[in-house]
Amino acid sequence: MTDPLRLTGISKRFGSVVALQRVDFRVAPGEIHALLGENGAGKSTLMKVAFGLTRPEAGTITLAGVEYPFVTPVIARRHGVGMVHQHFTAIPALSVLENVTLAAGWRPGRSAWLRLRDTMSEAGITLDPDTRAGDLSAGQKQRLEVLQALAGKTSVLLLDEPSSVLSPPDAEALLDLVRRSRDRGVAAVLITHKLGEALEYGDSITVLRRGAVAFTGPADQVTRHVLIQHMLGDAPPAPVTPPRCNPGAVRLEVANLSVDPLGGTGTGLRQATLQLRAGELVGVAALEGNGHRELLRCLAGLVPSSGGSLQRSGVVSFIPEDRTTEGLIGEFSLTRNVALIRGTPAPWLAGPWIDWSQASQHTASLLARHAISALGPDALAGSLSGGNQQRLLIAEALARDPAILIAENPTRGLDVQAATLVSQRLGEAAAAGVAVLVFHPDLDELLSIATRILVLAGGRLHEAKVGATRDEIGRLMLGEPDAA
Amino acid sequence: METEITAFMASAVRVATPLLLAALGETVAERGGVINLGIEGAMLAGALGAAIGASAGGPWAGVAAAVVAGLVVGALFALVAVVAGAEQIIAGTATTLGCIGLTGVIYRHHYGPGGVGLTLPTFPATAIPGFSALPILGPLFRQSILTYAAFLLAPALWWLLWRTRWGLRLRAAGEAGLQARTRGVPVRRVRTEGVLLGAALAGLAGASLVLGQVGTFAERMTAGRGFIAIAIVALGGWNPLRVLPAALFFGAALALQYVLQAAVPAVPYQVVLILPYLLTLLVLTTAAGRAKAPADLGRRAASVEGD
Repeated sequence: MTDPLRLTGISKRFGSVVALQRVDFRVAPGEIHALLGENGAGKSTLMKVAFGLTRPEAGTITLAGVEYPFVTPVIARRHGVGMVHQHFTAIPALSVLENVTLAAGWRPGRSAWLRLRDTMSEAGITLDPDTRAGDLSAGQKQRLEVLQALAGKTSVLLLDEPSSVLSPPDAEALLDLVRRSRDRGVAAVLITHKLGEALEYGDSITVLRRGAVAFTGPADQVTRHVLIQHMLGDAPPAPVTPPRCNPGAVRLEVANLSVDPLGGTGTGLRQATLQLRAGELVGVAALEGNGHRELLRCLAGLVPSSGGSLQRSGVVSFIPEDRTTEGLIGEFSLTRNVALIRGTPAPWLAGPWIDWSQASQHTASLLARHAISALGPDALAGSLSGGNQQRLLIAEALARDPAILIAENPTRGLDVQAATLVSQRLGEAAAAGVAVLVFHPDLDELLSIATRILVLAGGRLHEAKVGATRDEIGRLMLGEPDAA
Repeated sequence: METEITAFMASAVRVATPLLLAALGETVAERGGVINLGIEGAMLAGALGAAIGASAGGPWAGVAAAVVAGLVVGALFALVAVVAGAEQIIAGTATTLGCIGLTGVIYRHHYGPGGVGLTLPTFPATAIPGFSALPILGPLFRQSILTYAAFLLAPALWWLLWRTRWGLRLRAAGEAGLQARTRGVPVRRVRTEGVLLGAALAGLAGASLVLGQVGTFAERMTAGRGFIAIAIVALGGWNPLRVLPAALFFGAALALQYVLQAAVPAVPYQVVLILPYLLTLLVLTTAAGRAKAPADLGRRAASVEGD
């Protein structure tokens, strides 16, 4: 049997940055191949080359035995390559059936309906064919993405960090589905930066570091420790130590605060009461749809409350979860983005006037001080890697000299090293007297950085007792009262 | 009284026909993500084409010439707005303004500077046996062949858009050009095809105005009907089956102005003439404002096609 996907000597550069350097990568029939690496290591770029979303400068792509210098998504699909992207690619206004029909290139009508039904029963997915894609829940949307990738004769699935955008149960369901597909002979490439995931689900593992293959081999012949060394090179990041906490003055006080559900889904926030003091780093633990978004955004002044009182002192900085759509405008330069974010007066901001040369100097100093790799203050925000974008957002949030810093999943999609740097910055901010409130979906990460933890379940806010274990907090998140 | 109501209904259907044809055409173009403000110009070109064709070779030659004229205007617009990726609103406005000027020049060149009193061979009313004998509703079934064609086109276009592969690809291009492209949809090509089909129907709308309704041509005779058609598309929620009653509603409003002019001569006729346009504004701010337009409507081809 020929390999469904084989990449040979792939090189790719973006401007002066080398993204991939003579990378060889092959997927055997019916295996799950974990592609592991930090962000910016080139994992996503490599898969984009395989699916035809970007063209390599050198190398060949062999799909089911046919060799190409580059491919397009249409060619890739024709050779049985399906890709599940991190973002939602189905067209919201079209129905489930229409989206899959379009993706598979079927002829609309009864035959398409029957083929969709077969694909769904093979994959063990149930979705109503007539529901508009835009009306599906997040988990259902992800399943639709998988259906789109599986429809037709798919022999290899490329999954781009599926667990980074899904809640843990949805992610687990998806990966189980990938396993079942594997058992039917559909190979998969699982892009991930999570070691545990690679070891648990991968049959083979390839590690990319700085655009080159650092390791490749069967998953059962490698240890966690060896993988970390391959991923990070010689210098693993220093572990995060929880910041020492000397709570100062009350910066934020909230009583019986209620907020209606955002986007019409979830529980909203129900009568939350809390205090935030200078120097604290308070973690918010919650499952999706239990009110964390409403809490953070109401405290940041972005959405109105429907009841209760809210008192704040000083400047509030907010770091939104989705840096590409809410945090930054990709087509604007870094300086313009910084000028837009800046709501408080600055030496370069006088009334309606902006002193662009000073703003540019300010941006350049942010880049230098926070070790953000960018071509300069005039670079487009969209040209930065995720980690650098996030560092810029945090740098500017802190440059506003805030009394309160609210961060929504600030390490989303970042690799270990970039995430560690972000967590360190938040800790330093708290140590410098800022009241910090952070939501993070990963409980372990939250426990490693927060001085105390608040849990949201069903829109109600509870404080986890000092020294609560991971399991106790987990039960609180699921709304089991005896855990408190 | 009964005859007045009957006459009103029959005239509403007759007046609605060009609106319906133009709106159906625009529906196809907009489903593909292209808002074609040149539809007014295509309709006017169609009207002139119908006049020239009909005076040379009878009403069917007029229809053929109108469709060709509409296609020429549509091709010009598609070249600028879809292939070259210019701003659609500007390209469409320029197309319409260009057509107003050009049709005037051709008309005067063809029929002399005065050009008055042009009488064209028109489509006679064709009675549908049985139905045309019905009380009250009878006159609705004594219409020109173009009216029947327009009403049958609505379900035909619905089928085209929702039941064929071309329709699915066109709608995908209109909703999310980039995603459609990664799924192998040749976005520019289907958009161009949508614009051309729409423009051909706009040309046909011009023909129905000349050959099914007034029997003559005058400069600027479409008088904003193309723009009303764009409002009808929104009111009809970009769905041919709902565009049909929306066009009838506007047809009734236009027909009502004739009735009102006769019934209440005290009101200055200019006020009555405003009615359909006022209605357009009203509809756009209320009912149609809630309908959901194709997500990539009006987005430049280059930005949604990614190259």
